[in-house]
Amino acid sequence: MSLPADWSLLAVELAACGWILLTLAADLLLSGARKRWLWALTLSGVAVLALLLGWQQQMGLAGSFQSMFVLDRFGVYFKWLFLLTVAVVVVMTREFGALLSERAGAFYLLLLTALLGMLVLASIYDLLMLFIGLELLTFSLYIMAAYLRTDARSVEAGMKYLIMGSVSSGFLVYGIALLYGFAGSTNFNVIHAALASEPAPLTAQAGMLLVLAGLGFKIAAVPFHLWVPDVYEGAPTPVVALLSVGSKMAGVVALLRLLLGVFQPLAWLWMDLLAVLAAATLLYGNLAAIPQTNIKRLLGYSSIGHAGYLLMGLSTGSLAGARAVAYYLLAYLFGNLTVFLVVTAATKALGGEALDDYRGLSKRSGLLAASMFIGLLSLAGVPPLGGFVGKLLVLLATVEAHRIWLAALGAVNVAVSLYYYLMVVKRMYLEAPRATSPIPVSALTRAALAGLVLGILAVGIVQEPFLARIAAALHP
Amino acid sequence: MAEAASFYIFSGLMLLAALSVVSNRRPIYSVLSLLVVMFCLAALFVMLGAYFIAALQILLYAGAVLVLFLFVVMLLNLSPEALSRTRIFTLRGAGTLAALFLFVCLARILASVGEPPTGEARGTVEAVGRELFSAYLLPFELTSFIILAAIIGAVTLAKREPSK
Repeated sequence: MSLPADWSLLAVELAACGWILLTLAADLLLSGARKRWLWALTLSGVAVLALLLGWQQQMGLAGSFQSMFVLDRFGVYFKWLFLLTVAVVVVMTREFGALLSERAGAFYLLLLTALLGMLVLASIYDLLMLFIGLELLTFSLYIMAAYLRTDARSVEAGMKYLIMGSVSSGFLVYGIALLYGFAGSTNFNVIHAALASEPAPLTAQAGMLLVLAGLGFKIAAVPFHLWVPDVYEGAPTPVVALLSVGSKMAGVVALLRLLLGVFQPLAWLWMDLLAVLAAATLLYGNLAAIPQTNIKRLLGYSSIGHAGYLLMGLSTGSLAGARAVAYYLLAYLFGNLTVFLVVTAATKALGGEALDDYRGLSKRSGLLAASMFIGLLSLAGVPPLGGFVGKLLVLLATVEAHRIWLAALGAVNVAVSLYYYLMVVKRMYLEAPRATSPIPVSALTRAALAGLVLGILAVGIVQEPFLARIAAALHP
Repeated sequence: MAEAASFYIFSGLMLLAALSVVSNRRPIYSVLSLLVVMFCLAALFVMLGAYFIAALQILLYAGAVLVLFLFVVMLLNLSPEALSRTRIFTLRGAGTLAALFLFVCLARILASVGEPPTGEARGTVEAVGRELFSAYLLPFELTSFIILAAIIGAVTLAKREPSK
C-alpha cells in the first residue's frame, strides 16, 4: 500500500502525533514502578522520527501540503537539530526524574508535544501554521516550567512565562491580523507577492513589526527578554535546556523563513532595526551576566547574549548571514546542551545551583568538569571549538554587510563572555571542593556527554561537511 | 438606511461600554460593561451576515470568558479602597501616554486602509465548516494537540499528590 504523495510529506509529524498518544496510553496503563521506563519509550519515539526523517531525505521528498506546510531541505536540516535537542533533553529528564515522581509520564508527553510544535515550525508556509506551531511549543513549555509545583520558584517561573508568553502571542496574532487584512491571505506566497508589488502601507509594516516582536520574545531578544532570568532560575533544568536551545532555535527558524522569504521586500525596514536590537541584546546579555551568582541565571543572561549574535546574523539579510546563523545554532546546540546536562547531573550532589557550589567540581568528577569546560569555552567562542566557527561566520557576514561597528561590538563581547564563563571554570578547577565524595554519573549521561563534546569538536574542526549541508539547505 | 442607523447605534453603544470598562472603579461593573461590548460586537457580526461567528462570539466570550472573569472578581472580592491604593499617579500618567500613542498609531494605520473588501458572507456555519475541513484541515487538527497538552497540563498541575 502506498500513501498518497501529499501525506508522506507529513510522515514525521504524523508519527509524532501517534507517539504522543502512545505515551499517553502507556502513562495511563503502566503501573507505578514500570513508569520509569517511559524515558525509553520517548527516546525510541525520537529515534523512530529520526528514521522517518532519514527516509524522507533519502527519497528526496519535497513539496507543500495544501500550501500550509512545506517540506524542503531547509526544514529537514532544522528538524534534525530539533530531534537531537529533544533526545538530549530526554536523557536530562531521566537524570532529573526523581523530582518529577509520579508525574514523569505527562512530562514526557509534553516534551513530545513541544517537539511536534518545533517540527511544525520548521515547515511553516502560512502565518496560521506559525501561530499553531508556536502555541504547541509554548503551551507545553508553560506547563513544564511550573512542573515542580511544590517549589515556589518553579511556580513563579511558570506563571511569569505564561503571562509574558501570552502577551507576546497577542502581539503575534495582532500582527498576523494586520497582514491578513493587507494581503487577504495568510499564505507566505500571497503576502510576499502583495508586499513586492506595491510600496507597503503602514498596516503591513505595523503587522510585520508586531510579528517580529512576538518572535522576539521566543528568542529572548532585548527588549523582550524580561522573563528570562527568573524563568531560567526557577524552571526544572531540562525545561530550561529545552527553552534555551529548542525554543530559541524554533524562533530563529521562523524568523529565517519570514525575513528571507515573506518580508524580503521590507528589508529596508527590518535590517537596521534588527542591527540595533542585536547590539542592545549583545550588550545587555553579556554585561548583566557578569555579576550573577546562580549558574542557571548566568546561563539565562548568556543565552540573551547569544540571541544578540543570532540577530546580528539575521540583520545582514544575506544568504551568508543565514548560513552563519544556521552554523551558529548548530554549535550553540552542542555547547548549551552539554552545559545543561552537566548542571542536571551535578546539582543533586553539589547541593545547589549557586556558582560557589561548583567549587572543586574537577576533583569530584573529572568528566563533568571537563565537559562543562569544553561546553563553556565553545559558547564563549574559543578556537578550535564549534562556537568559534559560528561566531566567526556571523562576524564575517556582518562585515560583508558593511556594519563594521556591529562586528566590532560582537568581537568585544566575545571577550566579555569569556570572562564570566572562565569564572565558572576557575571555581571548578582551582578552588577546593566542599565535599570530596565522587559524583556518580549514569552510563547514559556519560554517553550523551561524550557525544555532545564530540559534536562540539567536530563542528569546530571539520567544518566542511556541515557547511555543505547548510549550503544545500539554504539553496532555494 | 436602517442598516447604517443600527451600525451607528451598536458602534456608539460599544464605545460607551468600552469606556465604562476602563473608567469604572468597581471591577464587577467593568466586567458587566465588557459583556455589553461583546454583545454589540456580536450584533455587528450579525449585520455582516456572519451568524455563526456572532453565535461563537456570544458563546465563547460572553458565555465562558466573562463568567471566568466574574468568578475571579468575586473570589478576590477587593474593596474599592484596596484597589485605589494601587492607583499611583505615575502609573496612570504612563497608561494615558501609552493609550494616546496606541491611538495615534491605530488612527494612522486605519486612515491608510482603503475601502474594505465586500463579498458574500463567509461567516455562516456551512462556509466556516467547509473551510475548516478543507483549506484549514492541518491547522485545525493540530489545534487538538494544543488542547491535549493543555488538558494534560491542567490535570497534572492540579492533581493531588497520592498520600503516602
